[in-house]
Amino acid sequence: MHLKKITLSLVAAAVATVFAGCQATAAKHEGAAAPTKMASAQMAMTPSGPPPLAPLGDAPIPPDNKLTPAKVELGKLLFFDPRVGGDASTGCSTCHEPEQGWAWAEDFSRGYPGTVHWRNSQSIINSAYFPRQFWAGSASSNEKQAKSAAKGGVAGNGEDDIMEARLALIPEYRKRFKEVFGTEWPIIDDVWHAIAAFERTMNTTGEHEVPLDKYLKGDKGALSEEQVRGMALFNGKAGCINCHNGELTSDTDYHNIGVPPNKRWEEDGLAQITFRFEQYAKGQTEEGYRNAKSDWGFYYRSKNKWDKGKFRTAPLRYIAYTAPYMHNGVFYTLEEVVDFYNRGGFDEEGRTTLFPETKSSLIKPLGLSDQEKEDLVAFLEAFSGPEIEMEKPEQPPYAPLFTMADLKAAQEAK
Amino acid sequence: MGARVTTGRTLLAAVMGFGVALSAQAAEYPDIGPLPQLKIDKAKAELGKRLFFDKRLSGDAAVSCATCHVPEKGYASEEALSPGYPGNGHFRNASSLVNVAHRKVWNWDGRIGTNLNDMTREMLTEDYTMNMDMRIMQERVKQDPLYVKMFKDAGYGEPSNGSVRKAIPEYLKTLTSANAPFDTGKMSASAKRGMKLFKGKAGCIQCHNGPMMTDQKAHNTGVPENFDVFMDPMNHQAFIAFTMFQGIPNYMNLKRDPGYFNVTLLNEDMGKFLTPSLREVKYSAPYMHNGMIKTLAGVVDFYNQGGGKDSNKSKLLKPLKLSGKEKKDLVAFLEALSGDKLTSDKHVWKQPYPSEYEAIANWTEVRN
Repeated sequence: MHLKKITLSLVAAAVATVFAGCQATAAKHEGAAAPTKMASAQMAMTPSGPPPLAPLGDAPIPPDNKLTPAKVELGKLLFFDPRVGGDASTGCSTCHEPEQGWAWAEDFSRGYPGTVHWRNSQSIINSAYFPRQFWAGSASSNEKQAKSAAKGGVAGNGEDDIMEARLALIPEYRKRFKEVFGTEWPIIDDVWHAIAAFERTMNTTGEHEVPLDKYLKGDKGALSEEQVRGMALFNGKAGCINCHNGELTSDTDYHNIGVPPNKRWEEDGLAQITFRFEQYAKGQTEEGYRNAKSDWGFYYRSKNKWDKGKFRTAPLRYIAYTAPYMHNGVFYTLEEVVDFYNRGGFDEEGRTTLFPETKSSLIKPLGLSDQEKEDLVAFLEAFSGPEIEMEKPEQPPYAPLFTMADLKAAQEAK
Repeated sequence: MGARVTTGRTLLAAVMGFGVALSAQAAEYPDIGPLPQLKIDKAKAELGKRLFFDKRLSGDAAVSCATCHVPEKGYASEEALSPGYPGNGHFRNASSLVNVAHRKVWNWDGRIGTNLNDMTREMLTEDYTMNMDMRIMQERVKQDPLYVKMFKDAGYGEPSNGSVRKAIPEYLKTLTSANAPFDTGKMSASAKRGMKLFKGKAGCIQCHNGPMMTDQKAHNTGVPENFDVFMDPMNHQAFIAFTMFQGIPNYMNLKRDPGYFNVTLLNEDMGKFLTPSLREVKYSAPYMHNGMIKTLAGVVDFYNQGGGKDSNKSKLLKPLKLSGKEKKDLVAFLEALSGDKLTSDKHVWKQPYPSEYEAIANWTEVRN
């Protein structure tokens, strides 16, 4: 099974490489470097190149966490409830703020009080489609992502016992958990199930369908002429389709595209603290801890040196609302992103990844004209439809579990 | 000077047959007396002092050790129930830390019996106290140039979470009773009469014995529950988190603090709490594990009536029949166990902490 996947991704990389006009030897690097799972949707490749962009279908629902309206509603309450976290100040929505693209509009996610995160907060929109979550794919489901984020020291910093205890003292939650999960008391694992269920409804489908998907379904008026020209560049000269492909606009694989380290690590003491902490948290050798000066990305999972600086291909839908971009948020506009790729993976100061040896051979100067860059940006805007807005629900209040009469009776019975 | 320990077991037979509380003999128990001297490493203690008062040692950098262990209050909590970590409350009164280094067992329920290093770890990391991921703590400390120097000067080398847990206990060794009239021999006549009652008629010495005035064992004295633990969901959530994590059966329905039961899971230990030290009690009100008694006079009244109501109450507790004068004398003695307040900068870190973390210069060039 694994072998088959590897073989396929080798083919994919080889085809992509030829398509991008690179040397065939580069395919070895790309392929060997990416022995990772690809979503089955991505397997359906055309013989001539990567899977073409395709309209977004329904989100996959795992059989062990079926969607019900009551579960989704409970998940929504929990998503917005900061008591699912350490000091009751930082919940999911704190860093996945609806008005900031269901993400956080700074380079690094804001993090738990007293900390700052070290990566850009990713939007929850369409996250349900991805086989793995987080920039390096460290969680294998939305459930596991919710759990990791709620508990991580620079994210929610919550512990199971106190979070479960809080929910038990909120009558509204006791009622809803009983209805949805059939338990007498809220169970922390069910919290992650409910939140994941809610997230699986937060997609750019239906009324939030993006212009590109309308176009791909046959509505040729959905894109402007400029955008259509941009699409041709996306699929051709600019080579974006090599990684941003298929239904998800992402190959769900990990690549080093040359993003330079965030300069905040050189200037911001708080960010330096988190940077070193993350070396421990993600798993690093002593030598690595001492020497790391940028995010090693997928390496922390695979521990293969050829995976340094690789991150999951970001999906492109909804990006009009999710600036800044890249795993460390170094680019604030789509224009900057296009310029970065056009320079072959260098920012305007000529900075690039600290791991040139793992940089994808697909990333080369593109030679785009100003008009082409504008067309490409225009096309990237077609990946976003109407903003997904939501009124934040009111937090259900705490209430004492016992009455004074209960307590007095227990005191008498001692 | 070593602790004066007189077990006097041969006398045990002689006192049997009398009402125990009334016939308690000083010689039967380790005598009360001065505390042994502790050897203190100054540089390590100074570092520990800075750490003790530093809010950056909690998860959200909002509370320090001193938030619950208040110097003015004998390093105990001034509220009946400790404030705990932001977002929750607490379910017990923080004990005084004065002389804490002389203990062999810690926490009201005695769940830590190893050393202050473990105790420090427990308080730093528990979610309802300081909720600190110690990997973040270590990196915060390493980001503060003064800490880097202090760790080096103290002989610890590079700051690490291991040495934080050594330095704080070293500082705690400096929190020792100083100039208590009991130790200096300058007790009032009333206090002297009180001491006699303490060792005799009032029977306090049965549990409050040795230089620390505690047998460091668990007893049930029938202290009533503090209903604020359960009626305030902020406190109750800390109580539930604690009992859940400790593995106490039926924790959702518990309407009392299980105390030492947490350690043994034996019903006979339900509601037992470690005998607190009586040193510095003048400052550490309110009293008992849950702060239910506000004054020393109230504590004396409580024991004079034979403690509270509990089917599991210690057999040592009987009505004492103390007169009004005797009760006053006993309170005078208890007050004479308290010395100078440890609130000067010898014990309290009073310099400001940096408001933000300085960036390490040439970050890309230097090793982390």
